[in-house]
Amino acid sequence: MKCTRYERWLWDELEGRLSAVQTQELRSHLQACPRCQRQWEVVQATHQALRGLPRRHAPERIRQQVRAQIQQARAPKPVVAWWKRVALAPALGLIVAAAWWGWLASQSDAPLPPEVSTTQQHSENWVEIHEQLEVADWSPTPTPNYFITTGYTR
Amino acid sequence: MCSDTVSYTGRRIELDALSAEAQLVERAQAQDETAFEQIMNLYADRLYSYILRMVGNSSDAEDLLQETFLRAYQGLPGFDGRASLSTWLYRIATNLCIDHQRRRARRVQTVSYFATEDDGGETSEWEFPDLQTPDPMQSVLNRELQQVVEHAIDLLSPKLRTVLLLYDVENLSYEEIACVLNIPIGTVKSRLNHARGQIQKHVEVYLRGESK
Repeated sequence: MKCTRYERWLWDELEGRLSAVQTQELRSHLQACPRCQRQWEVVQATHQALRGLPRRHAPERIRQQVRAQIQQARAPKPVVAWWKRVALAPALGLIVAAAWWGWLASQSDAPLPPEVSTTQQHSENWVEIHEQLEVADWSPTPTPNYFITTGYTR
Repeated sequence: MCSDTVSYTGRRIELDALSAEAQLVERAQAQDETAFEQIMNLYADRLYSYILRMVGNSSDAEDLLQETFLRAYQGLPGFDGRASLSTWLYRIATNLCIDHQRRRARRVQTVSYFATEDDGGETSEWEFPDLQTPDPMQSVLNRELQQVVEHAIDLLSPKLRTVLLLYDVENLSYEEIACVLNIPIGTVKSRLNHARGQIQKHVEVYLRGESK
């Protein structure tokens, strides 16, 4: 239990985070405890190895590539000349007009939608029924078709 | 979060460095090409070493470093200086590395310091710091130990590896790492303890073998 506490102090001691009293206490413990003394050596070796890890030189070509990309991004984009823009406007107008005429032509040739045909058929049926009703009003003998379509019974 | 936690108080030299950095950023924001060039020169090696250890191979590391600088350039107009420039650059690099690792969705390969087909035998490009050991034998042992540590780092999970590299190798403070990763300082400390614990196990095994 006591050793665990001192083990936690080892890195702090290396980084100068312990107070003078704590440092003294730790050193006394290390002298008396071979296990912690070994651990102290491991921590020191690890610390030294980590701090001494080699640094690698970045290849110069990376910086060159970055420079090139930055310059490419900074380069002004080609501007379209005014006369080209003026020439483009009527061309675009013609395209739009052609598309419009094409759409109109397709609308005039198209057959009536099925909904319209069905509606027309319904109204024709009603006309026929009305005609039969009118016949029924004055005729002493209504046609059999009258009774079928109206469901009327005497 | 970052504005309150960046610790640059105290020594005069740090304030001077901060001031110089702020001026550099201002010039770069004003489209001064030489300023951004200076930023690249200042941070290229640091970021490259960090990214290389994060992703495990030099080809990906080069692509990610390039992307880091391009994003930094694009983001410069919006950089408000609340975090330090290095913190900001590390954050961009870290995010790119995390995205890269997610895309690959597999363990990164071990970074080898020997001549391998991956590095094309570029061992000499590594710049070993002076370990203050005039004894050649000790120097060899130190490098061997560093290889053990590098291997152990590579075995860490990306979360632990990021914190360990930023703190113990790149020398960022707890506050700066919290800012880079957008996590609480307590989480930074906890991850660092875990990471160090795992590295220590490898070092312990190595040292035990050495002492036999």
